Amino acid sequence: MLLELLQLAGAALPVGAAAHSFGLETLAEEGVVGPEKLEDFLRDQLEESGRLEAVFVRRAWRGDDPALLSVEFGARRPARESRDAALKMGRRFAELFNAISAERVPLDLHYPVAFGVASAALRIPEESSVLSYLQQSVTGLVSACQRLMPIGQIAASRIIWNLRPAIVRVARHSEDLEVTCFTPLPDLGSMRHSMVETRLFIS
Amino acid sequence: MDAQEPPWKVFRAFEQPNGGALVHLLNVSGGVLAGDDLSLRIDVGPAAVAQVTSTGATRLYRHRNGARTSRQHTEISVADGGLLEYLPDALVPFAGSRHAQTSTVTLAGGASLFSWEVVAPGRQAMDEVFAFESLRVKTMVRSAARPVSMEQFLLEPGARDLRSLARLGSYTHTASFYAIQIGRPAGDLRQLEAELNEIAREVSRPGVMIWGASALASGGVIVRGLSATARDLPATLARYWTTARRFLTGEDPVPPRKLR
Repeated sequence: MLLELLQLAGAALPVGAAAHSFGLETLAEEGVVGPEKLEDFLRDQLEESGRLEAVFVRRAWRGDDPALLSVEFGARRPARESRDAALKMGRRFAELFNAISAERVPLDLHYPVAFGVASAALRIPEESSVLSYLQQSVTGLVSACQRLMPIGQIAASRIIWNLRPAIVRVARHSEDLEVTCFTPLPDLGSMRHSMVETRLFIS
Repeated sequence: MDAQEPPWKVFRAFEQPNGGALVHLLNVSGGVLAGDDLSLRIDVGPAAVAQVTSTGATRLYRHRNGARTSRQHTEISVADGGLLEYLPDALVPFAGSRHAQTSTVTLAGGASLFSWEVVAPGRQAMDEVFAFESLRVKTMVRSAARPVSMEQFLLEPGARDLRSLARLGSYTHTASFYAIQIGRPAGDLRQLEAELNEIAREVSRPGVMIWGASALASGGVIVRGLSATARDLPATLARYWTTARRFLTGEDPVPPRKLR
């Protein structure tokens, strides 16, 4: 179980995460988020978007209808680019999972829903599934930031390390399944991404 | 306007040049008091056109010990081919206020909705910025087939820093505008998104006011704005409304007098 989880949540899993910044590229380009503010940004981002996604991982793991969950997730994501990114990653994840495991995850699910369905199918404990989902999500964003701003490998690793308590806290808070999310500035980063002159990321 | 009880007061509908009905909604108590539990229901019939607006900002007054969190629930339905423009003034949470607001919108096939919401940080002129205790907002828009938009947030300035870069950053006011028409093809909505983003590009001044538009997962487009001041928000929202109304209905909107 541990090995399966490490692979599914590993940064090397080719689900296309490296192509997406979820609006961070705009915020970095406009000088809103820089290296010195990144850790605080990600901590608060975890409390909002992270919590939302953690709730969907949990609900999928607990057996809610994945198709309906995915539609609801899409309705809760106002920024098209970020929403599409989660759908593309979910599809790629499901294709990969179906190709390498004996279990099946429906295609066309947003990423947190697909991840929750796959974790449950492999009988990975719910808590571990949520924690690992959040950890890989943070790792992906930090990795994107390493291409957007001057952050060395040690600094990047330190940020991910320092965010462990926040990940645990957010996972715990998501147990009540309450979905609240207030991220207007990152949402606008995603909505305004097409206005960035030279873009490294799809979203 | 079948039924109304204080503190709500609904003025009789005025006919607009486009044949629609203009309705003004007033809270005669001057605002929402601690313990208030308000409900509002708007039903727009098949192919009917209605515009509902308020006579001033919704003031959320300070919480009183022993009182319940004030609440407002708005239930809206728009029947086949109907059109609703729901254009309330800003929500202004005073220092110490606790409020929960839920809005549920159900749209039938071909129904259209143009609506906006502005949330201020408090009475800025009195240096009341993010001095409220809590503001919980839940807005659900759905068609018969699926949810169109679901937004739910909890603002607790004492517990979560609203000035975080993951939330508002240096801005204080939020604005959202929805332009929805059930059954509209996704390609049309992407085109509308592009047109609204042209306005966003033109009016955005990072640090002062920024805007962006995005097609929703189905049925519509959302425009979102952040601003450090309330000043330019109504006029900018009216610009988005005009463009979206022309695009989706082929007609110009009839703005309420306060926006002319």
